[in-house]
Amino acid sequence: MLDRYLGISPKSDLTMLQMFGAKMNKMSFLHINSTRAGGGVAEILQSMIPIFEDLGIQARWEVMEGDEKFFGITKKIHNAIQGRNEEITEEMWQHHHEINRRNAEKINLEADAVLIHDPQPSPLIEFRKTGRWIWRCHIDVSNPREDVWEHLAGYCKKYDGAIFSVAKFARPMGIDEFIIPPSIDPLCEKNRELSGEEIKDVLEKLRIPSDRPIILQVSRFDVFKDPIGVIEAFKIVKRYNDCILVLAGSPATDDPEGVMVLNEVTEYAAGDPDIHILLLPPFSDREINALQRSASVILQKSLKEGFGLTVSESMWKGKPVIGGAVGGISLQIIHGVNGFLVHSVEGAAFRTRQLLNNPEMAKAMGERAKEHARTNFLITRQVRDYLSVWHSLENRGKKVLKL
Amino acid sequence: MPEIIEPFEFKQCINISKSTGEKAKSLPELKNLISAVSDESIFHHTYQYFLKGHILEYTNDFAHWAGESLEERALAERLSNIDPYDFKNITDLRKELIRVIRVYLENFPEPREALPGDAFYFIETVTIIFPVGIRAKNLAEFLTAVKYIDIGSIYYHFFEARTRLGGETDDFSKWILEGFGKKGLAEKIRAIDPFMHDLVGIKAHLVEAIEEEVKKDMEVIDICSTGI
Repeated sequence: MLDRYLGISPKSDLTMLQMFGAKMNKMSFLHINSTRAGGGVAEILQSMIPIFEDLGIQARWEVMEGDEKFFGITKKIHNAIQGRNEEITEEMWQHHHEINRRNAEKINLEADAVLIHDPQPSPLIEFRKTGRWIWRCHIDVSNPREDVWEHLAGYCKKYDGAIFSVAKFARPMGIDEFIIPPSIDPLCEKNRELSGEEIKDVLEKLRIPSDRPIILQVSRFDVFKDPIGVIEAFKIVKRYNDCILVLAGSPATDDPEGVMVLNEVTEYAAGDPDIHILLLPPFSDREINALQRSASVILQKSLKEGFGLTVSESMWKGKPVIGGAVGGISLQIIHGVNGFLVHSVEGAAFRTRQLLNNPEMAKAMGERAKEHARTNFLITRQVRDYLSVWHSLENRGKKVLKL
Repeated sequence: MPEIIEPFEFKQCINISKSTGEKAKSLPELKNLISAVSDESIFHHTYQYFLKGHILEYTNDFAHWAGESLEERALAERLSNIDPYDFKNITDLRKELIRVIRVYLENFPEPREALPGDAFYFIETVTIIFPVGIRAKNLAEFLTAVKYIDIGSIYYHFFEARTRLGGETDDFSKWILEGFGKKGLAEKIRAIDPFMHDLVGIKAHLVEAIEEEVKKDMEVIDICSTGI
């Protein structure tokens, strides 16, 4: 499995993984989350578990079970942690705890290291048996509803350590808090190399003309992704360059706000045959891959963003990305080096024109973008970092460790 | 020159970031926290900036934040001009950072606060050092290895070594001087200014210097054979 990353991932990451493998051979590493499919966490675990196994680490991935009421409550907790005004009653917290207790009876919690993903299974710490316990928080907890956070933190503080994606997502809890950015798998369907034929097939299927440069944004139809701003920028660019715009996202049928945004976008784009709004079904990985590979310029013009991993996906395909200077986007794009950070519609339009009119510059930036993604945002780096955190917790208090 | 030359073992280090829980939203807060956070945190935001490999407008995280988040360009330039390798220890570097910010605040007492979500987050790191599995026994092997290794290894032996060895030297020039007595090459390597190049640039300079020396050694053999 690890061999497949040879020639792709940085040599040093692979060397370090092998050294960790030798050191942690036959040790057990348990991951627990709340869904087997769908969402970034499940996606990355699917790729990550075989890598751990290949290193000789006995990795196990368990998915907790819960009833509809439980997931309703955890959705509210999730929203409250992200700052929405949701009330979680004492009875709800009890149910949250009770479901975790039942899962603790079913799941074998014995392992040398246990990584609990997100708030849903966080109370499992109450039932710890052996090993180091680490809470992996994939969401932004910097501005939560305080009473909800206080209750949740009661569990989180009992862990040996926590991991957040970005420094500003973290909150002091009196335990070791590590900062580890997320990653993409270069070999999965969304990121693997595609042949010219495969790309052509997708464009034909989606009825996207390939005779003019494609400007692309892949994102949910969410006001914070600023699809209207993207169209406004495109309209400015169109005055100077003949090109088309593709806005690709999944339909948000369970999200009334998403439907409203989609309607607004469709209405705003009406009458312009060069604007293509694509509603792709979930798991349209190959389609997204092909669109990103065929685009001349990729935008991620978010107004608010978590990490924005679609930026790394695009950079991995050798594309310079024009991104809103918010959230994790600024951690991925180095302005003027491997892409552009923008703060306005006009900025997005100007940088798009610059890239369209300077293909050599766009190519050089794209190459640097790919290298930046390769060095910093591939899954092998994240596996390396998880094992480093585990190793660090085994050697608490030491600032320098030797392998 | 010793008879048996110890091979040069290439190593590399990675840093795992840890939150300190401290953040600054304004320049006065930044100044106060620079005086309070751990040496490891100051080290991370200054010396380890070079590991990012893209030294452009700024040379440390404090300058970057002052320039990009507070838009205090003059302060950013002044902070960027602080070369951490000029200081014998973190205490002196910390004092200089505080002094520069204090003087700036005396002249411009009311810079704006950072926008929400754009605060400066103080980080410290756990460093993990590991061998990359490459050894060089002579200069020719050394040259090939320097061309081949990741730039992270250049950081460890060239940048990190300066603080580890506590002087103006680095692992490469130390090995070349102690192993081969090549004072000229060692001095040439030491003269490469770590503050003025990114890791790719340092690598290119190293390759150039070592290649020249290897070529010179080969030419000596040529001259001998011509003489015969």
